[in-house]
Amino acid sequence: MKEPLKNLLHILLDAIKYIFIISFCIIIIYPLLYAVLGSFKSNYDVMLGGRLLPEQWMFYNYVEAWQQFDFLLYTRNSILLGAGVALISLFVSSMAGYCISRREFWGRKLLKKTILATMFISIGTVTLRPIYLLMVKVKLHNSLWPVVLIIVSANMGTYIFLISRFINTVPRELDEAATIDGAKPFRIYYQIIIPLIRPILGVVGLFSFRAAWNDYINANVFTMSKPYLRPLTVGVVSLRYGVMAAAQWHIMLAGASMSIIPMLIVYAFTNKTFIAGLSEGAVKG
Amino acid sequence: MRSRIKRSIKHNISTYLMIMPCIILLIVFVIYPLCWVLRYVFYSYDGLHPEKFIGIDNFIRLFSRDRDYWKSVYNTFVYAFGKLIVTVPLSFFLAVLLNSKIKFKDIFRAIIFMPTIISTAVMSLVFYFMFNSYNGIVNQVLIKYSLIDTPINWFGRDLAMVTAVIVAAWGAIGNYMIYFLAGLQTVPEEMYESAKIDGASYMQMLTFITIPLMGPVLQVVLMLAIIVSLKGFQSIMVLTGGGPAGATDVMYLYVYRSFFPSQGEMSFAPQYGYGSAAAVVTALITGIITIIYLRISKSHFNKY
Repeated sequence: MKEPLKNLLHILLDAIKYIFIISFCIIIIYPLLYAVLGSFKSNYDVMLGGRLLPEQWMFYNYVEAWQQFDFLLYTRNSILLGAGVALISLFVSSMAGYCISRREFWGRKLLKKTILATMFISIGTVTLRPIYLLMVKVKLHNSLWPVVLIIVSANMGTYIFLISRFINTVPRELDEAATIDGAKPFRIYYQIIIPLIRPILGVVGLFSFRAAWNDYINANVFTMSKPYLRPLTVGVVSLRYGVMAAAQWHIMLAGASMSIIPMLIVYAFTNKTFIAGLSEGAVKG
Repeated sequence: MRSRIKRSIKHNISTYLMIMPCIILLIVFVIYPLCWVLRYVFYSYDGLHPEKFIGIDNFIRLFSRDRDYWKSVYNTFVYAFGKLIVTVPLSFFLAVLLNSKIKFKDIFRAIIFMPTIISTAVMSLVFYFMFNSYNGIVNQVLIKYSLIDTPINWFGRDLAMVTAVIVAAWGAIGNYMIYFLAGLQTVPEEMYESAKIDGASYMQMLTFITIPLMGPVLQVVLMLAIIVSLKGFQSIMVLTGGGPAGATDVMYLYVYRSFFPSQGEMSFAPQYGYGSAAAVVTALITGIITIIYLRISKSHFNKY
């Protein structure tokens, strides 16, 4: 007699569970849909608000953004920034991670502690001012290099620890054998360690690319007087402060979508790696 | 001693070469600017006129006269607290749901995590459109379903902070959910099974097994959430710029402004010395909160 009642309760609870999760997913997706669908609206249509779907699909918005608003240039800058940061982060943090995990050298503990300290001490973006002044002195301030190196240094600590922890799980016998055969440290790193730690290198590559692609504040400071260096994020937001802001909502949404869509495509293929990388840090860290 | 160090360095030249890029980056982009800031704490300097040593005047001004700064500190706490009480329970709840038997688990997880991979600045701009009072889609939807009669001014004095918290929560929940999920997956399945045999209900298992075992993960998540929300100002910078009239001004945004004054419609005079002092005090406040939190949570969790 009680069994059917219990079953009914179960089904009801299950339904509530699904309704809750699905409505939460809608809340998450809605703003993204708003931006992407809005980028195909005419400015009048965007200003009117109300509907999610465009009244008329204005693919021309993208042409306008690319040609009249320099978004072609911004996209190029974003790609360069992302690729530069990812490559340099991989290079620097894999070598440092390898040395910290495998090599015994004077200053190892000090290096470890310094890296750890820099991960916790943060005085925010203040340090951008002295870096800017320094970059003017060495004449690098007219390029994206300072932004690349700042983003690499800001996140390097996390990557180094992720990588050195991963190398710790690789059996030592492998490189000990190579050492006996006369291989130098760099060769061991390059020929033995690197091929074995590809999974974590994938995580570091993705995380650092994301950090660079989405960076706003660093790039904003360094491109304030140099619009031609702006990445997408800075280019889009700067329109908001322009004199013509009210007439350019559709351009801003097109620009925002140019920043959002590539990241979503990358995410579609790599979301498992992203989530695994984050969980890795959470449980052990 | 010295000869041993020398030998170690000689022996490990290739090792030192391999860590050199890391060390150079640390010195140029982390340590040098830190020292610069610590020096200018004692100076009056605006980047144009020659610098002037003024002792601890910057701190005196900060502690005795600068009400705007302390208001931004207060706002930071409101912002951080608001973000915390929205995101942490919600992300925990979602993680528990996604850890139970449910279909399309991977898809739900991927969707909820999605905001984490998108630029905060760009999304804040999108939210700025959505929450716009006279033609924003949020107000229009609320009016359409008769939840409100007249448009709400989401960026007005009373609600600007609420809006900022909503936007921040949208971006953060997925991240913390993943941490909780990772923690939940470390709870051995056998514990639930034996509890089930003993006749424990779902709620009982949640309160007596899951939540106590999640202690360490909760600690990590809370610490991250506190630090991130004390430090975060990117979203507020784009969303409200600290306005209206400083209602959403947070401490790191305040500091940022004294170094990079011309942002948006507002303009201030640059004050590097004073900004350095404010930055150091802000970093200390953040550090102290973190330490207090670590102390409390340590003594609390040692009881178990």
